[in-house]
Amino acid sequence: MLTSSVISELKAIVGSGYVLTDQEDLIIYSNDATVFNHLPAAVVQPANRDEVAAVVKVAAARNIPVTPRGAGTCLSGGAVPLKGGIVLDLARLNKIRTLDAARKIVVAEAGVVTFEITSQAAKLGLLYPPDPSSLKESTIGGNVAECAGGPKGVKYGITRNFVLGLEAVLPDGTIVETGNAVDGDMCGPDWTMLITGSEGTMAIVTAVTLRLVPMPETKKTMLATFDRLENAAKTVSVTMGAGIIPTTLELMDNLSIVAVEKAVRIGLPVEAAGLLLIEVDGVPSTVEENARRVSEICRECGAMEVKIAQSAAEAEDLWVARRAVAKAFGQIAPCKFAEDSTVPRSLIPLLVDKCLEIQKKYDLPMVIVGHAGDGSMHPTIMFDKRDKDAVARAEKALDEVHIVTLELGGTLSGEHGIGSAKAPYLRAEMGPVGYKLGQDVKAALDPQGIMNPGKMFNYEGALH
Amino acid sequence: MNDRECSRIFENELVKCSRCGSCRSICPVSLAENAENATPRSKVRMIEAVLEGELALTPGVQARFDKCLLCKACKANCGGGVATDELILGSRINLVKRNGLNPVKRLAFTSLRYRKLFDLGLKLGAAFQGLIFKDLPDGSGKVARIPLPAAGLNLRRVVPNLTTSPLRTRLPAVNKAKTPETKGRVVFFTGCTLNYMYPQAGEAVVNILTGNGYEVIIPPEQCCCGTPAFTSGDAATGRVLAEQNVRAIGAYKYDHVVTACSSCGAALLAEYGRLLEGSPLLEDWRQLSGKVLDIAQFVVRHCDMTKFGSLPLKITYHDACHLVRGMKVSAEPREIFRAIPGLEYAEMKDADRCCGAGGTFSAVYYELSRKINDWKLDNAEATGMDYVVAGCSACRMHITDGLSQRSSKMKVLHTAEVVAMAYEAGRKG
Repeated sequence: MLTSSVISELKAIVGSGYVLTDQEDLIIYSNDATVFNHLPAAVVQPANRDEVAAVVKVAAARNIPVTPRGAGTCLSGGAVPLKGGIVLDLARLNKIRTLDAARKIVVAEAGVVTFEITSQAAKLGLLYPPDPSSLKESTIGGNVAECAGGPKGVKYGITRNFVLGLEAVLPDGTIVETGNAVDGDMCGPDWTMLITGSEGTMAIVTAVTLRLVPMPETKKTMLATFDRLENAAKTVSVTMGAGIIPTTLELMDNLSIVAVEKAVRIGLPVEAAGLLLIEVDGVPSTVEENARRVSEICRECGAMEVKIAQSAAEAEDLWVARRAVAKAFGQIAPCKFAEDSTVPRSLIPLLVDKCLEIQKKYDLPMVIVGHAGDGSMHPTIMFDKRDKDAVARAEKALDEVHIVTLELGGTLSGEHGIGSAKAPYLRAEMGPVGYKLGQDVKAALDPQGIMNPGKMFNYEGALH
Repeated sequence: MNDRECSRIFENELVKCSRCGSCRSICPVSLAENAENATPRSKVRMIEAVLEGELALTPGVQARFDKCLLCKACKANCGGGVATDELILGSRINLVKRNGLNPVKRLAFTSLRYRKLFDLGLKLGAAFQGLIFKDLPDGSGKVARIPLPAAGLNLRRVVPNLTTSPLRTRLPAVNKAKTPETKGRVVFFTGCTLNYMYPQAGEAVVNILTGNGYEVIIPPEQCCCGTPAFTSGDAATGRVLAEQNVRAIGAYKYDHVVTACSSCGAALLAEYGRLLEGSPLLEDWRQLSGKVLDIAQFVVRHCDMTKFGSLPLKITYHDACHLVRGMKVSAEPREIFRAIPGLEYAEMKDADRCCGAGGTFSAVYYELSRKINDWKLDNAEATGMDYVVAGCSACRMHITDGLSQRSSKMKVLHTAEVVAMAYEAGRKG
């Protein structure tokens, strides 16, 4: 609970309509896209950086926890106010400050929806590549805080690879500007990268400077089907090994193919064990040559069929299957744990095998799709949360997926973040020294521990 | 919907919501408000909290549930396939049971129940509208002289002229086919907006049908379809009206029931099933439901589209929510426009996004619904066409209001009016 004097102070900063304390709103802002909930004491909706700083100063003076929030599409619990206090809703910081075609940069406030950046850049013939599936809802501040990825990551990299600089509010309410818009310029340690992916536990990002790239002249989309999932996985390693970097290399397993076909009826081969959606982009001559070589590799690796789209409309048809995956999940079971286990590309077949074993062991459907090109897979465990026994099995299966990923030398999160969902495994991934270092850095920046408490290095549950 | 059915729907739907938030970029209200507490996801979350005992059915919950256009876009785009529209309707019914209706709505829905009173009210309204409203110079409608917030009438808002001779007083109950042979009998369910506000569009429907060899019955006992009442949570009034309409239509022998209002059409086609649960008229409705067609569907399936004459109009089309998602009609109007010689058609961006009318929504949240409507108008104007065509008079009313506010040259027509004009051009050769 916040005292009425604190509420008045907050209202004085942001305006009384932008401090929400009704029980209805507190419940609405108690969760993100995960199953976790915790009620905040208030939701505060500042309009700009200075209001954010002023709110944080009030919180710091009274030891009030602050949990920043973008669009609340986080898949690791990042926006859940685990210790109550203030949910700082950044949606109103939604201006694109600069879009410079000559310097190929964009400066956007934290609450700008990522798709807005993608669309505005495209108008100038520029590409902002990171394309998380929440692209149309999630905010750039959230993307930077969680270090979001997406299918284009294979060729272009994830959010981190595009952040040149940040404007952020530190836990004491001071404002810091890190990095700058000059690509490659560097003085001292990279504070920008320290804050990127820190999930609001070290600072609140209020604006970001992003690098843009030229829009590729053309692209070619292919769909290959396989009677053995290992062959699909092998195709991925061979393609990358051959020096071809596709824009997209998406993998779908049989369960997802069947579910998608049931949901959208587009004539997918339901007998296929696996399917790869591959896209190459660049200048026309290279694209043609790469498409030809990729389709050869698919066949050499045992593809039953390779379709190459001959037009933009045909390419769109090939994408339908992959895009329908989320919708099709509902056909299998109503609830899911959507993971983002990432392993070295060559080990994808092994990860898939292990997942199939886990699926059998716990007798739960597990759909395996993902951005195979950069090893970022989404083993998705399906269940009905009304069945308590199934929930218990799903949790155990999830636990094993995490362990297996780490055993294969992979990482817990390719793009969804740690939050509280994966915090129990963070020490196991980083090692005791790395983890301790993380705790020390966090304590140095936020000695009161008010920033997004209970997540990452401040997780209070048992560690693996 | 009874309590048992309500909780069954709730349970099955709630579990499907993964809270992913993809409804944020789909819901027009969420986009306009840019706040989590306006999202479809937040409504699911509130129901969950109510069922878990964390939240009572407070007026605060009711206010948040009222802020929904029932445009069904969230449901159509939901990965988990959550029937948010059903959840919202069910919740509104429970909230009304607990907290009562907004007094303006209570008064309005009571008069809806008594058709003659409603008739009289609107006719008196037509006679006395000059006291409250002033005409716009171009005759396209009226604006209020004094603000009437209780009736949802903002000073800026342009409402169409209430006709002094409603459609159902202009036309007889039975309209013979204008061809030597009669191909069949059609019941025309006019709905309120065509009857009281846009009778010319209603006449167009009758002309299309009789010209194509159909006898048209306009049952005089038909009344409001009930959509404004049951979508506001007043299921009792909705049921009274549904029963009255099923009886009124069932009094005739017919091959088809044609509607030219998407909300009436969706109500007759599907929504009545819920309202008539346990009613002795449920089976009669099932028979009726199988014969309901929107006028655009009827034209494509049963009318001669080779008889269209040249119509040099430049049009774009707006998909009314209850037509595209309620009745699944979107290809038919476009097929019709392609079949009309000389007609120039341009697709607008986001043609199937709600225009912001949402029935009583635009009365309660006028400024918000105007903001949503402005996106629609921007997209319509960007096509460079002269007319926005829609198959729904509620959309027509709201779009006309918006166009007038921005002094746009664009005009609005009903699909049926375009079709009737094309036939007229065909006859004149």
